[in-house]
Amino acid sequence: MTDAEPAKGPSRRALLGALGVAVGAGAAGAAGALTATGSWPGETQQPDAGGTPAGSSGQPVLASGRYQAGIARPATPQHFGLLLVCDLDGTDTSWLGALGQRILELTTKATPTDVLPDGPGDLTVTVGLGPRIVAARDASLPGAEDLPSFAGDETIEPHRRGGDLLLALYSDDPSVLTAVGDDLLTLVPGATPRWRQRLFRGHGERGVVRNPFGFLDGVIVPHGDEELAENVWIGSGAADAALAAGTVCVIRRLRLDTARFAALGTPAQERVIGRERIDGTPLSGGPKDGEVDLNAKTPEGEFITPLRSHARAAHPSFTGSSLMLRRGYAFDDGLLPNGEADAGLAFICFQNTLRTFVVTQQRLDENDDLMKYATPTGSATFLILPGFSASSPLSF
Amino acid sequence: MNFRILPAVLALALVVTLSGCAVSENPSGPTSSSSTTVRVPADAATIQEAVDKVPEGGMVLISPGTYTEEVTVSTRNITLRGLDRDGVIIDGEGLRANGIQVIADGVRVQNLTVTRHTFNGVLVTGMHDENGPQAHNLTGYQKLDPAKFPPLQRFEVDHVTATNNGLYGIYAFNSQNGVLSNNYASGSADSGFYVGQCQDCSILVSGNVAERNAIGYENANASDSVVITGNRFSGNRVGLTLLSWYQEAFVPQRGATVVGNVISDNNSADSPAQAQGGFGIGVGLSGAQSDTLERNLVSGNSVSGVQLSNTEDIATTGTRLTDNALSGNGVDVADVAATRSPTTTTCITPDTGLSLLPGDLAASCSAGASAGVAASALPQVQVPAGVSFLKVGRPVLQPNLDGDLTAVPDALPTSGPAGSFNTTSVTLPAADLLVSSTGTR
Ligand code: HEM
Repeated sequence: MTDAEPAKGPSRRALLGALGVAVGAGAAGAAGALTATGSWPGETQQPDAGGTPAGSSGQPVLASGRYQAGIARPATPQHFGLLLVCDLDGTDTSWLGALGQRILELTTKATPTDVLPDGPGDLTVTVGLGPRIVAARDASLPGAEDLPSFAGDETIEPHRRGGDLLLALYSDDPSVLTAVGDDLLTLVPGATPRWRQRLFRGHGERGVVRNPFGFLDGVIVPHGDEELAENVWIGSGAADAALAAGTVCVIRRLRLDTARFAALGTPAQERVIGRERIDGTPLSGGPKDGEVDLNAKTPEGEFITPLRSHARAAHPSFTGSSLMLRRGYAFDDGLLPNGEADAGLAFICFQNTLRTFVVTQQRLDENDDLMKYATPTGSATFLILPGFSASSPLSF
Repeated sequence: MNFRILPAVLALALVVTLSGCAVSENPSGPTSSSSTTVRVPADAATIQEAVDKVPEGGMVLISPGTYTEEVTVSTRNITLRGLDRDGVIIDGEGLRANGIQVIADGVRVQNLTVTRHTFNGVLVTGMHDENGPQAHNLTGYQKLDPAKFPPLQRFEVDHVTATNNGLYGIYAFNSQNGVLSNNYASGSADSGFYVGQCQDCSILVSGNVAERNAIGYENANASDSVVITGNRFSGNRVGLTLLSWYQEAFVPQRGATVVGNVISDNNSADSPAQAQGGFGIGVGLSGAQSDTLERNLVSGNSVSGVQLSNTEDIATTGTRLTDNALSGNGVDVADVAATRSPTTTTCITPDTGLSLLPGDLAASCSAGASAGVAASALPQVQVPAGVSFLKVGRPVLQPNLDGDLTAVPDALPTSGPAGSFNTTSVTLPAADLLVSSTGTR
């Protein structure tokens, strides 16, 4: 070699291309990289167990099934939601059967009720139990462990921490949720409301929606039965057999400083996220629904998906964890006494082990520039019980 | 979408098929005296052609020249040897992924130069399938199944110069019972040398020089019997790292021995950036467990001589720092672990005269956990911009392999020398260890 600079030196662009191709070839085919055509995944997806429609369309969503509704079905979450979190007097859960029965009634179109005289629309209700209730049964069960305190959690108001019972109600019709929640709670003896949260989300296909920062969210999540089984649903291992087809839910109410984030301007925002703002294309290239390339570097040695970007920080490969099913909603509860908006993202995710969330959030606290724009204002985890039906009642 | 696809690693896809097409049945030129030696270009026009031709136990002997090919070695027990270390150059031209990819047991690579690859100069890996060799960096969403890929056995990379490569200079992954010795690596955008993903590795890393790399030597999830001795890891951004890394199998890393090395002045500006911003660090331990560093010279690293931290929820534990010569570092030993996975039982002997962060770090030998300091408590240095890996300066001429280069060596032994390596005989090296191989021309 006579010169460190190649004689017919590849341009920087060509070199980056070569690096990108070599790395990308290995990553092709994994999560999220569904279509090279640029269409969002799922448009031709088979309905999952229970024959539910793929998108939210006001069409009824089956409440009965192996898994509860409101997690992976409908595939496109409804536009509105209401989280009701309650404390319970004791740890008895014998009321669950009646609650499940009532959910089946309310969500069955054939039987208009006082609560839903116009029928259920696409209403779903998801039931979860808090760690105190689960641990009282068996401290080794998934869902028995509470969340640790993460960075900034010390300022969360106590009433928005934890809780024994979660009812998560979703519908394209926001006006029905309160009545349904009130009706269902009459069936839960000793329930005292602890916190509640109204939710909304925009249009989006197959779970991908623009979040309050204006970026597409929900790109890299498990899709299809196999990935859901691997990452989301509790398995049938001996210890958890009774909870197989349940899942562990985490809810984080994150107040977002949208003004400060907006002030960054688009290019800096994209470096914080690791993807482009308009259509979600990774900064490392590829299709808009493709994975970010964690390895690609400039010839000078810097990561192309930035070191402190959210996509790099949240990536499960660094923590030996799994893909979480993220299904967040926006919230806006007006102004705080100090004049700031109490608005942001109700981050909601599902995974078969709490560790997936915990090690990811800890990594975000240490490595993610996005966290500078988020303040935790609520935090809870719930064991989402396995699905139920008329013949196989909701139980724990 | 398919999570069951092979590990989404660096897919080095373009290998065997492309290179096989030029095999000639009637090689021109004289046939070599020994039927077990195939000479390039005399007996075969390309190195790949020679490698495909040589029988097990044989040798490919390469004459000086620039070879613009990616070589895959899939024949067991062969030796790939250059006749002139500086003159036999496998040049990736900034376009090809790897120089030499070894996927067969018992292979030696000796006395040549590999340069300007977008990934690795030499890659030795037990992970390969019909798509060719793969290694490292499980950045997909599936778990790696090491049982599917038994580790490659018996390898030696010796007297190889690896410069200006985009990932690692010389890289042994998912392999056991091997040696990386007397090599030189510079201008790697990641590390000059890398040993990754093995348990009971029995790998000896000795007599190597790494300079002007982002990291000199990196050891991820390589455990039990890795012996790193008599090397010079000086003048990089970071000298040496031992770490646990979730993107490979076999976390946590544990039980490596680092003895008798010079790890100094890792403040290089003529090097690619370390992508995580590392600079001025002699030894970095991250989620590293029960490692021993003895009688090393660790000096002049502007941020820290030895830096301890966590890899996510994996703590660094049980580090033994014994009889090292630590001096002139920003701070000699610093613990910067996050409170969620604090460093425990760091034993520093002797600790007199050393600068430590936190100040009572040495007490953790018996007290257990230490309270890591914030990175902002470390000496603050200006990190120079990275230099393109293709533009980092060229090394000086490097020494050739000794002896009769035409003699075909015996097969490598079943167990690598690391297992029986006697560390007690290794003394503290002089500051000028291997210094004649350093510098630019
Ligand atoms: C501050 C509020 C947050 C915003 C605005 C946000 C936004 C985003 C965006 C835009 C993406 C890229 C597109 C995608 O893959 O969906 C993303 C990815 C992701 N986020 Fe968040 N996120 C937030 C909080 C969180 C939290 C709290 C977690 C979990 C602890 C999390 C976990 C993830 C994961 C796992 C990915 C996929 C990473 C990958 O594998 O590529 N996010 N997020």
